[in-house]
Amino acid sequence: MGMATANSGGSEGMELCIFDLRRGQQEGQELDKILFFFPADLPFSTQLSVIGLSEGLITFTRIFSPEAACELIEAERHSHVFYEAEPDIWMVMVVEKSKEAEAIWRIDALREVLKEIHSLFMMFYGPVREMLEKDPSGGLTRAHLYPFVMDYLSDFLVGKKTQLPSFRDCLKEFGTVQMLTVGREAAIEVQSLVRVLESGAGATHCYSLILFQDLLVSTTLSPDDTINLFAYAIQRLSPRALSSGASSWSYLRRGSTPSHVVVGPTFATVSVSDQFHHLPANSPSQDNSYHVKRPLQHNRWSKGKDGFLVTDIWGTETGSLIPSTPTIWLQQTGERMYLCAYQYKSLTLILLVPLSSILNGEQGVSLVKQQVLENASLKILKVEEKLSKGWGGENAYHVSGYRYLLIDDDRNVSRASPPAKVTTLAKESLLAMSKLREEVDLEKSRSKWDNADRDKDLEICIRVKNNAWVIARTTRGKELYMVLERANETLLYASDAFEKFSDRYCGGAFSLD
Amino acid sequence: MSSSDSNSSSVDDPNPNPKPLDNQLETLNLEQGSGSIIIQNEDDEEGRQQDQGSSLNGSLNVNSDNHEQDDRIGLVRNVVWRRTNSEMEVDVNGPSSPSSSGYAGERGSSGVSEDDEIQEVAKDSALHGVFDSQAAWLPGKRHVDEDDASISWRKRKKHFFILSHSGKPIYSRYGDEHKLAGFSATLQAIISFVENGGDRVKLVRAGKHQVVFLVKGPIYLVCISCTEEPYESLRGQLELIYGQMILILTKSVNRCFEKNPKFDMTPLLGGTDVVFSSLIHSFSWNPATFLHAYTCLPLAYGTRQAAGAILHDVADSGVLFAILMCKHKVVSLVGAQKASLHPDDMLLLSNFIMSSESFRTSESFSPICLPRYNPMAFLYAYVHYLDVDTYLMLLTTSSDAFYHLKDCRIRIEMVLLKSNVLSEVQRSMLDGEMHVEDLPGDPLSRFGSASHLGEHQEPTDSPGRFREPFAGIGGPAGLWHFIYRSIYLEQYVSSEFSAPINSPQQQKRLYRAYQKIYASMHDNGNGPHKTQFRRDENYVLLCWVTPDFELYAAFDPLADKGLAIKTCNRVCQWVKDVENEIFLLGASPFSW
Repeated sequence: MGMATANSGGSEGMELCIFDLRRGQQEGQELDKILFFFPADLPFSTQLSVIGLSEGLITFTRIFSPEAACELIEAERHSHVFYEAEPDIWMVMVVEKSKEAEAIWRIDALREVLKEIHSLFMMFYGPVREMLEKDPSGGLTRAHLYPFVMDYLSDFLVGKKTQLPSFRDCLKEFGTVQMLTVGREAAIEVQSLVRVLESGAGATHCYSLILFQDLLVSTTLSPDDTINLFAYAIQRLSPRALSSGASSWSYLRRGSTPSHVVVGPTFATVSVSDQFHHLPANSPSQDNSYHVKRPLQHNRWSKGKDGFLVTDIWGTETGSLIPSTPTIWLQQTGERMYLCAYQYKSLTLILLVPLSSILNGEQGVSLVKQQVLENASLKILKVEEKLSKGWGGENAYHVSGYRYLLIDDDRNVSRASPPAKVTTLAKESLLAMSKLREEVDLEKSRSKWDNADRDKDLEICIRVKNNAWVIARTTRGKELYMVLERANETLLYASDAFEKFSDRYCGGAFSLD
Repeated sequence: MSSSDSNSSSVDDPNPNPKPLDNQLETLNLEQGSGSIIIQNEDDEEGRQQDQGSSLNGSLNVNSDNHEQDDRIGLVRNVVWRRTNSEMEVDVNGPSSPSSSGYAGERGSSGVSEDDEIQEVAKDSALHGVFDSQAAWLPGKRHVDEDDASISWRKRKKHFFILSHSGKPIYSRYGDEHKLAGFSATLQAIISFVENGGDRVKLVRAGKHQVVFLVKGPIYLVCISCTEEPYESLRGQLELIYGQMILILTKSVNRCFEKNPKFDMTPLLGGTDVVFSSLIHSFSWNPATFLHAYTCLPLAYGTRQAAGAILHDVADSGVLFAILMCKHKVVSLVGAQKASLHPDDMLLLSNFIMSSESFRTSESFSPICLPRYNPMAFLYAYVHYLDVDTYLMLLTTSSDAFYHLKDCRIRIEMVLLKSNVLSEVQRSMLDGEMHVEDLPGDPLSRFGSASHLGEHQEPTDSPGRFREPFAGIGGPAGLWHFIYRSIYLEQYVSSEFSAPINSPQQQKRLYRAYQKIYASMHDNGNGPHKTQFRRDENYVLLCWVTPDFELYAAFDPLADKGLAIKTCNRVCQWVKDVENEIFLLGASPFSW
């Protein structure tokens, strides 16, 4: 069964590989390069040919472009998306294109998927290179990568198909954080809660992240670490992730594939993960000599009686039944931290405590937890209440008449029309927006190579065949994309609608004067 | 292969022999036997002598040898180029050394000093008005001493390669093909590797670089560029390069590869570097390369009618197409019944003619193929320059029509002279295209505003002109430039570059911006879109596509949206008002 599924995985049009260019440089040892390959049951010759082409083009493009090697191969039937995750460690995703199957991609969105896989992997296990240095055979790395990436990809499974972000997701931005807008009063409450939380663990420096539903309320982490932890939280920890068992991605996709969600929790997800997690016989994880934790496995987190979230993913402490507290690695400081997550109604609080600050392991952690409960319980209640009162519900950020995506590149924050609203758009409009975003992506990457400190100031309004307006505006590190379907036919009207939105919801950031 | 003529029969030869194959490409030089009928004035003759003296690099010696074979090769290989815009893809730090120019490399260095070359450029450009004044583009292939190991070669902004499916180099824009054999083999390996996987590689992207692939049977074409042009544009350019090759050889060259996959095609294209480099140069200034439309020289309706009438007369006598052009602009053209000429074919044909100096120096009869018309067969082109920039092309299927076409040309030339068409053409070249400064101010009172088109008037008493007050800021509402393309006519009109788009760099940048918005509007499968407004740090671009026409207009980046839209409407009205003069109307060669 596992084999069959993986087979269909190959033919359904997606391959993903991770390889290390420093390995397997001698003839006959090429297999050593491969750290991960999906589908794993593809013949090695096929795997090697994918990697051979990638490697060949990386070398070739460096002739002309030494500072940036191959990022993309567009062929008639496939796109090959490249991402150099760490020096000489490459991730390549090969997706099949098909107009009928709506397999029309925006390359940067696919690259964001690769980036997220790598960043999350780093968050739990540290850099791949370090792991390879620890065990030069590569076995340790393969044993970690395989289940991790497979667990990650299972979020994209709908039925038997991997549904990667396509043109239908053009009003969504991977690798960003979605924020809750809070009033001044609530913000002050949140501030004081953060202070209490972080002082709970004594003098050591702690970090915290607070979410309301699937939206970020506050963070004291660096931007990169915030993105990673936020992504993990909404995929596995938020109330919705806990209750449905469905992946956050399918949750986000929900609008476009409602059937999936209906079946989701009880039936489909189970069978899907069943198929997907049945690892093929030749998969490296069969090797039981490595104790591999699978932080992305589904249904492994639950809410404990004290309100703290518990999981057995990290095993139990030797000689007891108490589950070990998860640990993560911070990109910015390189520190390993205990991850303590507490949930009250829609509010999720994540406290990160440095491993180095707690000498007596789990005992010390539970002490910290206890302190949090003692000092912060009241504040948590208060904040939850305040935020719930102000919360406008699922469609809180819907602006009628508009379908939009707003990105703040400096803060890695995005806000968009609710997915259910975006699905009301015509396919033609979405295709045009996806294409327009691709154009802007190109301009952005060019200006990155030209002049790192100058942001591209760009305004593009297109009236599509179906009379919809698709609009893109970038300025000072901010981007705003908009589809107006029932707008008047004149450019001036569309521009006016755009300006109104900018004035009211973006503080005039995109207004011309 | 359409005939048994000695000029075109050898591609089928099972043992291709380079010499007869060379004949394919050569224009049949009839100078010796036909001196008596060349009608030209003294000045013209002098001009040509000078051309030869200054730039033919010793071909006069070859001519005097009187060996016909050598002579032909000489004529193809030793050419003087029409200078138009400047080339900015290469560093223009003074003229390139004699050894770095393609023809000098083949013929040895010339006795002509660099100064003469530059003078020639300056003299030539004086005719081309303001925007040619900084002409620095030099003909032929440069940097032949480079190869893929040279840093300078790697840093060139835009490479073009033609290679065979076995990896043999056929053409490279920069560097010596022979030294690039290894590199060529790499390109071939990439293409066939992907092909073996059941796919076909189109594009590779790395940082600012794009590598674009185009496979045409046994011919592979590759562009490596960091010019920010869209993929669709670069691919279109490869298509044109392929078309140019077909124009020279016909598609029957494929058969050589069927017989011998390792067939070496370079001798077949020997001496045509100039044709390709001229085409590649046009990718940075000639809108026809992406609009797939041609442009006409503005002429009074009656003048163009007169030219058309005489072309029509000859078209009835076995001429497939009769085309009268001035530089890259059409004066008039006529086709035999049901024969239609694709704008891309016209572009490739005129590029071929204008880039080869041999056409300038004598009347010629040359086998050419129109790839869009019939890629498999040669036609025969009788080409004759009527003055420095104006040339007549008579195309026929018959390989022995030279004397008949020569008679036709004499008749045509007489009529054109008598009816003053040629002097009108020259006057129009001086006046240039529509000037944005002349855009009629009020849509209701347009009279007299377009007077410089067709009927010549002194600029000073032309009522519609406001050049002085508008100096430096272009036309009204910050309008800097526009291109209008009539879909039904397959023709476009592009306004004259005016301030502040003065320098060749600025013109090229604007050209690239148009290219980009064109690609964006004509998105495959999704497009064409209806309207686009695009503002960046350089321009406001407005594009409007309707079933009848496309308008591309460039404004000051601070232009007001509402005013810009109004101005676009006025431009469209203006074009309609003068369409009799700027377009060739009722031309028969287009199928509708």
